[in-house]
Amino acid sequence: MVDIANEIKQQVQERRPLTLAMILTNRWFLYGVSMLAFFLAWDMAAVARVFSSGLPRPYEVVLQLWRMMFDPLAGKSLLGHIWASTQRILIGFTIASLVAVPLGLMMALNRYVNAIVKPLFDLLKPMPPLAWISIAILWFGIGETSKVFIIIIGTFVPCLLDAYNGVRLVEPELYDVIRMLGGNRRHEIIQVCFPAAFPAIFAGLQIALSIAWSCVLAAELVSARSGLGFIIILGMNLSRPAMVVGGMVVIALVAWTMSQLVSGLERFVCPWKREIDSR
Amino acid sequence: MDGSEARKTKIEVRNLTKRFGDLLVLDEISFNVGEGEFLSIVGPTGCGKTTFLNTLSKLIPSTAGDIFIDGEIADPKKHHLSFVFQEPTCMPWRTVRENVAYGMEVKHVPKVEMEKKLDQIMGMVGLSDCAGLYPNQISASMLQRIAVARAFAVNPDLLLMDEPYGQLDVKLRYYLEDELVRLWEHLKSTVIFVTHNIEEAVYISERILILSNKPAKIKAEVKVDLPRPRSLIDPRLVEIRKEVTELIRWW
Repeated sequence: MVDIANEIKQQVQERRPLTLAMILTNRWFLYGVSMLAFFLAWDMAAVARVFSSGLPRPYEVVLQLWRMMFDPLAGKSLLGHIWASTQRILIGFTIASLVAVPLGLMMALNRYVNAIVKPLFDLLKPMPPLAWISIAILWFGIGETSKVFIIIIGTFVPCLLDAYNGVRLVEPELYDVIRMLGGNRRHEIIQVCFPAAFPAIFAGLQIALSIAWSCVLAAELVSARSGLGFIIILGMNLSRPAMVVGGMVVIALVAWTMSQLVSGLERFVCPWKREIDSR
Repeated sequence: MDGSEARKTKIEVRNLTKRFGDLLVLDEISFNVGEGEFLSIVGPTGCGKTTFLNTLSKLIPSTAGDIFIDGEIADPKKHHLSFVFQEPTCMPWRTVRENVAYGMEVKHVPKVEMEKKLDQIMGMVGLSDCAGLYPNQISASMLQRIAVARAFAVNPDLLLMDEPYGQLDVKLRYYLEDELVRLWEHLKSTVIFVTHNIEEAVYISERILILSNKPAKIKAEVKVDLPRPRSLIDPRLVEIRKEVTELIRWW
């Protein structure tokens, strides 16, 4: 029990003996049960040939991935293909966020910018990014540029929208505080708008990142000689389901890792979002 | 300490009027506040207290009349005005200490002086223990204390408070009122405190202005020249409280 500034904070920790019921209801135990059940069901479905030969057993997928680490496909090992996809995403995502986030902030801060950009944006927003694939290939060929272009198109929208909304949703009282204390517009923007928008910007980046993976995959499925989408399409053409599923698993892992990195960056940039540790 | 006549006039409000379209909210309000005086303004709910403060503080423009500080028209860029709002207004991305420092930062107070002042004020409002925490980690009353500390820290020419303790429970409110009086006695700021809580007004202030129902006018003025520390059950205080209650009656 502590007394901080005339307010009392109390913490209680219950101690209970370890029982079977506690183990059975333990969160981590249940996580384990859930994962085990999933892999068992998958393995049984594969052995029972539910999808005839279309579903590999989990261990076959692992084996396939292991082999791809060392035997190059189209001149690249698995890591090479992972890097090919990741590189496209990094380039496209970086360009899109560097343009879209400042533009979204400017739209929220200046009504003239808003009036000029918003109609165009509203016109193009409902168009699914994948609709751009064919025209992108016609414009830029089947090389890297068209893939990066698709990613930029796909990630631009969430980056811009969330930056814009982040500033719009600032509590107006905070502006009053600044004006009362004699601050000017510059103070309002730097001290309130930007930090207030950070969490929304990061939410936008997270959404953009998952869209970027969809985009890069679609672009690679259409035409590519490298990347994880290429592995999947190659697996399909060679009738090797382990390769297809392996590609899917790796995408999930890499996308998850990148999303964790963005979350980590957010915790670093916005330390005030951390909750107090009660233990 | 007695009324405002004995000391220099710091704030002069002349014919302050505010209209929203046809709706007259403030009707030619005039009064003076002495240097270092603690003035409370009470009035019935919905009489325009918040509009009154917002006009006084220049957050919204007045329809007519003006407010003068040391004989000059008040200007937030020139004068040090401070405002404590009903709702706590902390910046979630600044620690408690950085929030309190904010006003001094805007006013470019030198670093050394700022740190000294911060230590003093944080100690007085009892925030030293949680200086490094963020606003989402502390309670509502502490948030309001940040706002109060931030307001006093800039050595304001005029400090306006809009029912800052309206949302708190009784025990905390008494505690914070004492704290506020302590701050004011040490820092000698000129304070205008708006509330609908009559007991609170009598307990903390030196003079009370009573507003009438809309359109708000000054209906009466009551001096509270009781020694401090005051007691809520002091018969003289109870007497003044009754007097103010009678004056404010609108039912």
